[in-house]
Amino acid sequence: MPSSVVGQTPSLTTFLKSLKQNDIENSIELFISLLKRRQIKNSRPCAIATTHLLLRVVAEPKRKWDAQKLIARVRHVGRRLIAAQPREMAVGNIVRRVLGVIREVAERDEDPLTDSEISGSASPITGEFQRPALPTRFSEFSPLHGAAAMPHNMHSGRPGTADSMAMEFGGTPQRPALLSTNASYAGQGPPGTSLFSILQHPQGRSPMATPPPGTQSPVTGPSPSRRAIAGEIPEKLDIKAEVIDGIKELQDELDVVDNQIAESALDHIHSNEIILTHTSSQTVQKFLLTDARKRKFTLFHAEAYPNNHEATHATILNGAQGEDDSDERWKPLTSLGITVILIPDTAVFALMSRINKVILAPHAVLANGSLIAAAGASTIALAAKTHHVPVVVLSGVYKLSPVYPFDTDELIEYGDPSKVVPFEEAEFTDKVDIVNPLYDWVDCDLVDLYITNLGGHAPSYLYRIVADHYRMEDIDLNAKQDAVVKKG
Amino acid sequence: MAEQGEPAEQSKTADEPKVSAAELKKRAKADKQARRAAQKEQEKAPAEVPPATNGAHQEHLTQAQGVQQDQKGKATQAKGQQQPKPSKQGGQEVRQERGGPSQPPNIPLRNKAASTAPSKKLPKKDNTVVELLSHLYPVQRRPNLAGVSKDVHPAVLALGLQISTYEICGSSARCVAMLLAFKEAIQAYTTPRDTSLPRHLVSHHLSPQIDYLRSCRPLAESMGNAIRWLKKLIVELDPDKPEHEAKDFVCEEIDRFVHERITVTDQAIAASAQDQIRNDSVVLTYAKSAIVEKTILQAHEQGTRFRVIVVDSRPLFEGKRLATSLMRAGLEAQYVPFSGLAHVVKDATLVLLGAHSMLSNGRLQSRVGTASVALRAHKADVPVIVCCESVKFSGKVALDSIVLNEIAPPEELLLSPIPEKSPNHPAGVATTAVTGKSAAPGKSAAPGKDASEDDEPAKLKTLHDWNSIPNLRLLNPMYDITPAEYIRMVICEYGSVPPSSVPVVHRLANEGM
Repeated sequence: MPSSVVGQTPSLTTFLKSLKQNDIENSIELFISLLKRRQIKNSRPCAIATTHLLLRVVAEPKRKWDAQKLIARVRHVGRRLIAAQPREMAVGNIVRRVLGVIREVAERDEDPLTDSEISGSASPITGEFQRPALPTRFSEFSPLHGAAAMPHNMHSGRPGTADSMAMEFGGTPQRPALLSTNASYAGQGPPGTSLFSILQHPQGRSPMATPPPGTQSPVTGPSPSRRAIAGEIPEKLDIKAEVIDGIKELQDELDVVDNQIAESALDHIHSNEIILTHTSSQTVQKFLLTDARKRKFTLFHAEAYPNNHEATHATILNGAQGEDDSDERWKPLTSLGITVILIPDTAVFALMSRINKVILAPHAVLANGSLIAAAGASTIALAAKTHHVPVVVLSGVYKLSPVYPFDTDELIEYGDPSKVVPFEEAEFTDKVDIVNPLYDWVDCDLVDLYITNLGGHAPSYLYRIVADHYRMEDIDLNAKQDAVVKKG
Repeated sequence: MAEQGEPAEQSKTADEPKVSAAELKKRAKADKQARRAAQKEQEKAPAEVPPATNGAHQEHLTQAQGVQQDQKGKATQAKGQQQPKPSKQGGQEVRQERGGPSQPPNIPLRNKAASTAPSKKLPKKDNTVVELLSHLYPVQRRPNLAGVSKDVHPAVLALGLQISTYEICGSSARCVAMLLAFKEAIQAYTTPRDTSLPRHLVSHHLSPQIDYLRSCRPLAESMGNAIRWLKKLIVELDPDKPEHEAKDFVCEEIDRFVHERITVTDQAIAASAQDQIRNDSVVLTYAKSAIVEKTILQAHEQGTRFRVIVVDSRPLFEGKRLATSLMRAGLEAQYVPFSGLAHVVKDATLVLLGAHSMLSNGRLQSRVGTASVALRAHKADVPVIVCCESVKFSGKVALDSIVLNEIAPPEELLLSPIPEKSPNHPAGVATTAVTGKSAAPGKSAAPGKDASEDDEPAKLKTLHDWNSIPNLRLLNPMYDITPAEYIRMVICEYGSVPPSSVPVVHRLANEGM
């Protein structure tokens, strides 16, 4: 069958198109080969591709899943994907998020009655949430940890709409918004505990809205007894449908992550500041564009030779051109009146004494707050530290990985040495060892602030976000999985 | 003009004998100032209406001659002349007040030119100057020999062009080349009558050469020290010495200077520094320093087993030349672009750096990027050693890299394109003045972004269009200042000293105390 892939360089767009046509195994193979050949690179395209692929895997027609099988299937696929390109951490992150979604859904379906046993047992929850006891069946790292609430305590700290509906339903907790784990940070939704409401998307709720500060995981345990009444068979349908919904929410999150990050731009960049940035990251450009509409500042842009300089030049000169279907077009900063000064990477220390802020975009963020960024970033961060210039890192939560950097060398990917010295210079490339690392590891001490789609955080807080989004049992995908879905 | 002035003068003097000399002098002074102002304007607006300019020129010449020849009446006579009078007066007023409309036909044209010329220049200036470093503009490079003074010796002319295109690059190399060229210039010099060699040589013969070299590229610190030494030498010559003896003496002294302070010094420093390279060392160096190269090659000849990491940067790619020469000598070398610095520093056991100059507050001025290398090495506890001749030591101080720097032409940052990105099409050719660049082979300038997307109606801009984008600047600094705390040791011919001893050595070596 004439595929649209023929005649085009394989990339994210061709992969997404082919997903509709190919069967699942072929799609997986295609994605693995794209990863291996580095025809799909950088966190966001990999994350988008992984979500689409996993959506297809879960949505496999005529297949009834129960929780364990689905988890096993996703783990299996995830292992293969990660093995194809271990340093593309976004792939692993998405796989773990999807596994988290599945576990959520699964746990919600099981033993809903135990919710009523939840009383003041286990450790106290932090005061701000004003919730009592943790249900013992949730692990320390579960996103639901701290989320379960006694019905009568639920309404503290919540807006009023929740109350009336909850009262109506006999004080049951809110609708479990954990169709996807990221939604645990969403604003509150109208509570509903009937089966009906679970299958629907709630009205008026935006799962992607940045939560108002101070509110946290609003969701509660699964809806009680009514679910159990619903019976076994719908449970399986539920899992599939709910997991699919969860993955779709994950896709939505990936689409809007840049906009959410850019929402805080005005808080951080003010008039007449001199900002330094690096590489052609779209997240950073959108962040700065949002600010440029209201304020005038100066931008020093380091060109990231030899791996990214052409893209950087193109971004500075032309903005984004909307080549991919998913990309939008946006103008370059210079057209908004911002003075942009292109400098070679070597000049960073020289100019750092005049810089007010450094803004970086990472390739991946690690659980202790350190990051992997494009090569040259650690030189910039170190120079900034020396001059006491704050370093701000913009990253969506999808880049946040539960991995701790025990061996930083392993995390660095090496690139094509011919970009440094072309192979035509045979004698040189033969006798001299040419190294071209693509990434740098930047220690968490060098970063002052992370801005994610959930808001701003100190590097020391990231472990908490990791805990909220990933399950401990998913962190190592190679571990043997117990037959029963773990409860704690 | 002069003839016209004379008859008028006689009548005038008859009429006004009471005009005092002081008043005449005042008028002459005013004329002179007006003339100077007018000349400046003319230089700014050279392409202006020729008749008007010529007319003014002739007027000025008249005035000049008038003052020079005879102070008493000429100026007043020139003023009194009917024909050029209204224009001259109008011109004077215009020049002094800058903008008054004047009746005579030729003046307004020139006036317009004078007043519009500065405003035309300003927008152009804004597009290339980075405000932060405005004290370092305009960029001094000389692509050709237009407008050079006739006094410049051909050897110096050639040298200037070589320096401007980085054929001769590196503080010591430029210093030596300059002194050798000066030797030739001095040999070709003859003292005019009425004056003596010590008095005349420096101000009238050497100065144009130095100015020319400065217009090709800002002088290096070593060159500055050498020039100061040379001037001192010449000025202290015995004026009774016959000319050829004096010239020979100066040339011998120049040879001795080069030999003592650069050649022998380099050998001494290399010998001292190579003791730092032990078996199984990993030496890291940045860009290309002649003396570090010498050290490494000598250590290799001694038989020490070690390997070298060369870190390189854009746009000059000097490190590539160093790596090539090391490779040819049989050394085990690793070559890394600047982005790979973090990766290689942890493997290094020693960092050797060259210098453009050492400043009196202990800081190192060297190729841009050196500071980052030194900082990284310092954080990784790798010793940083600077090899620097005392001729490069300077009395200047600087707190950051903005104060003392040199801006290279932004065009050097433009790249030749990588082949697979885009088709060749005739965009403007980049004026890359750099040799030894490892750019993609022989492509004509083409965009850095694929312009073959047919759905794009507007042509995508490339970096070669940077001038047309009003808010875009390219900045290409050449040097940066490394703080003293990152440097363990400075090796010079006086020994191995900590960076804090730089001013002492400078006094000793360059100021002779």
